[in-house]
Amino acid sequence: MQITKMLIGWLRAAAEGVVAAMLAAMFLTFVLQVFSRYVINQPIGWTLEVCLTLWLWLVFWGCAFVVRHDEHVTFDVLYNSVRPGTRRLFALLGSAAIVVGLGYSLYPTWDFIDFLKIKKSAILKIPMRTIFSIYAIFLVSAISVYAWRFIKLVRRGLPEDNLEVSEMIQNGVPDEEADERMEGGA
Amino acid sequence: MSVSFALCLATLLFLAGIGTPIGHSTILAGIVYLAVSGQDIALAGEQALWGLYDSFVLLAVPLFIAAANIMNAGTISDRLLAWCVACVGRFRGGLGHVNVVASLIFSGMSGSAIADAAGIGKIIINMMTRGGRYPRGYAAAITAASATIGPIIPPSIPMVMYALISDQSIGYLFLGGILPGLFIGVVLMALNAFLASRRDFPKDDPIPLTKLPKMTLNAFPALMMPVILLYGIYGGVTTPTEGAAVAAAYALLLAGLFYRALSVSSLYRIFVNSARASAAVGLVIAGALILNYVVASENIPNRLAGVLVELEVHPLVFIIGVNILLLALGALLEATTIILVILPLFIPACSQLGIDLVHFGVIAVINTMIGLITPPFGMLLFVINAVTGISLGEIIRETWPFIAVLIGALFVLILVPDIVLWLPRTFGYAG
Repeated sequence: MQITKMLIGWLRAAAEGVVAAMLAAMFLTFVLQVFSRYVINQPIGWTLEVCLTLWLWLVFWGCAFVVRHDEHVTFDVLYNSVRPGTRRLFALLGSAAIVVGLGYSLYPTWDFIDFLKIKKSAILKIPMRTIFSIYAIFLVSAISVYAWRFIKLVRRGLPEDNLEVSEMIQNGVPDEEADERMEGGA
Repeated sequence: MSVSFALCLATLLFLAGIGTPIGHSTILAGIVYLAVSGQDIALAGEQALWGLYDSFVLLAVPLFIAAANIMNAGTISDRLLAWCVACVGRFRGGLGHVNVVASLIFSGMSGSAIADAAGIGKIIINMMTRGGRYPRGYAAAITAASATIGPIIPPSIPMVMYALISDQSIGYLFLGGILPGLFIGVVLMALNAFLASRRDFPKDDPIPLTKLPKMTLNAFPALMMPVILLYGIYGGVTTPTEGAAVAAAYALLLAGLFYRALSVSSLYRIFVNSARASAAVGLVIAGALILNYVVASENIPNRLAGVLVELEVHPLVFIIGVNILLLALGALLEATTIILVILPLFIPACSQLGIDLVHFGVIAVINTMIGLITPPFGMLLFVINAVTGISLGEIIRETWPFIAVLIGALFVLILVPDIVLWLPRTFGYAG
């Protein structure tokens, strides 16, 4: 248990490092773009594509491995005003909907992304399948995290009432496992 | 309304209503629509992916978030505040005025009301409540109200989002926000002066004017930030998106090298937290892109426009009606959601009724900013409650007069479009 906890913590820190590096890289590429265009007057073509790719990865990598359940933009006026029993029901329904709905979309979505292996990006000629695969990774991660949350909700009740459980649930399934499954699916 | 669209809306309202994250809820609603109407399920992911990958303007969002976080961490906010105290702190209710003026200047560097309230707002609330000089609720309320100016004066993350859905120029939208932002600042200071004399708020010891030059010098690099940013964008040096990167770079330079107030580890935390916030907003944008596809394939905005034109709705009646609706929604929904999901419904109607889309955009952004301080769901109230520990009840009680004057200012801006449009037109806007 202790080792699992350590491993999860370590993976979480690594995922945060990756997302921070993506933002930093995006920022530096932008500065390079401004500099090359206006200061040395030799515009670089690939900067924009790098920024757009990094932005896409930042959003879905972030939502897959860094943003916790309670950090998402949420309408919680009703959720916070009902009794704990009802709240637990709400949380169960929401988690189940995410698992079922995103699970249902996973195969057709992967089919679309896989099809894009024939299409390459405009300048750097990266296969679009590689660029868009982050969305499939996000789907697998979201499905796993909310399936885990659902199981914990059934077993132990509301995570918000129990900090330790909350940490476990929000950490969700380790990132590696999600990655592995994705590679298997590909 | 088709069955598939009705089910899509029902899914969205139900899931979002029970507290499922808005981003996940909209993606699921899109999947329900595609499944029931017999379309390819993959279209949901396709719309989100191409939409995010194609939108150059959206790149400004993470960069402005990072810039604001760097400024808050790097004592830039503190220096500005000290300068504002020296300038306007000497009047009755002085710290209230300081609050508004600091927000005006800070809004010229940051595009986010939340960053304004969490950074500079937190410091000034501490100053106001020290020794019980101002009621805690009042300090929090005026901070929340003045933080709404942040995204009205450029740069502005909500206006970037509006530019995305309405296809208007970010440059002209930014210019359109300057005079309304200053106008709202004046209105808030007038209310503060009135309440200060009625409730007999304290005067602070004036800081001798001889000290002002040194303090100005100290704050000068920070004060130059809005100037650099605006000159970059309107002098044709950078696009507004590149301006966001320049702003972040300048803030980094100031905080790191000039003021020496930033360690490597705190910089790392800033990048992690900015990326985290950007990803959360990005998921809502992704969901909104899917929903926009649904709404467009149902042809709803055009049908709405057709009905309104047929009914010969007067443009003024339309714009006031929309604003009342937005104010009501603003009490419940988050600004990003309103701009990305609700506003696209009205864009075709605006064009057909002859309403200027820059005017409409600036008005709509101001409206959603008022929504940030309107209970029960006011993001700024929550943020201030979280960073200062002042109870929501105390804050909300004092917020009502500010909401009232902000709504008054909003209606003046609706009735007098020239306040919004004069500056863009001076810079060549043809609308």
